[in-house]
Amino acid sequence: MTTLTKPHQIDLELAAAILARDRKATARLVELHADAVQRYIWRRLAPRTDPVDDLVQEVFVAAWKALRTYSGDASLQTWLLGIARNKVEDHYRRTLAAPLESIESEDDATWSVDLPDMTTGLEQEQQAEHAARVLTSLPEAYAAALRWRYWDGRTAREMAAASGRTEKAVERLLARAREQFKARWLEMKGGR
Amino acid sequence: MDDIIRSAERSIDAPEKASSRLKSRILSELILMEQAEGPLRILSQSRAAGEQLCIFEHAVALLPSDDLQSRNPCAVCHARLLGEHVENAPIYWPGCPYSRYCGH
Repeated sequence: MTTLTKPHQIDLELAAAILARDRKATARLVELHADAVQRYIWRRLAPRTDPVDDLVQEVFVAAWKALRTYSGDASLQTWLLGIARNKVEDHYRRTLAAPLESIESEDDATWSVDLPDMTTGLEQEQQAEHAARVLTSLPEAYAAALRWRYWDGRTAREMAAASGRTEKAVERLLARAREQFKARWLEMKGGR
Repeated sequence: MDDIIRSAERSIDAPEKASSRLKSRILSELILMEQAEGPLRILSQSRAAGEQLCIFEHAVALLPSDDLQSRNPCAVCHARLLGEHVENAPIYWPGCPYSRYCGH
C-alpha cells in the first residue's frame, strides 16, 4: 500500500515540531528562511530599509501564530513569503495613508515635460538597472505607489480601499509618480 | 513605461543574508512566545528527534525532571546575549543556534 504524503512533507514535519514547542525546530525555521524573507522585504523597501528588520520579525511572529493553518501544499518558504508580501503591503498602505501634502503641493508644471523615447541607447538589462535606480530615488510615497501597482499588480481601486484614500486620489498619486519617474529617468540617464 | 517600472524589480540588489543579530532576536522572541503557550518540548525528546543540542542542553537533557528539561537554558546564556547584540559574535558552541547564525 502506498502512503500518500503532502508535497512538502519535510516542511510539515518541521511545522509539527514547532507546534510541539520544540525550540530547536524553531531555531531551524529561522535559520532556513530568515535570509529569503529578509531579501524579499529589503528589495521591496530599498533604499529606505530602516523598517526591514522589524518587518522580518513581524513575519516570523505572524507565521508562528498561524502555523496551524500551514497545510504543506506549498513550501514553508513560499508560505512565509506570502506573509511577507502581506506585511509589505501593510507598509505600503501605511505609507499611502500618511498625509502627502508636501508632495501634492509640488508644481505640476515641472513634471509635464514631453520626453523622448525613454529607452533610447539602453539595452534591456541596463533599462532594468536604470529603472531600479530611478525608482529608489523617488519620494517614498511615489516609490511605494509604483511598486504596489506594478510589482504586486494591485489596481488603483484596491490600493484606495487598503489605504483609506479615494480611488481618484490614488490615480492622481500614480499619475504624479509616473511623471516623476519619467523626469528622473531622463535626468539620471544623462548623468549615468 | 509600465514595463520599465516592472523591470526594476529584478535589478534591486539586496544583501544575501539577514544579520545574525536579527536571526537571534527573532529566535529569542519566538521561544518566549512558545513558553507563554506552555512548557517547551523536553530536550531529550528534541535530541531523539534528531536535533543537535549544545553542551549545556546536553547536560540539562540528562536531568530526570521534565520540568527542568522544558526550561530554556538560553535565557541565562551569554551566547544568546552576544548573539542578539553583536553581529557575527565570537560564539563557538556546537549545537547552539545563536552560534550557527553567526556562521560558526
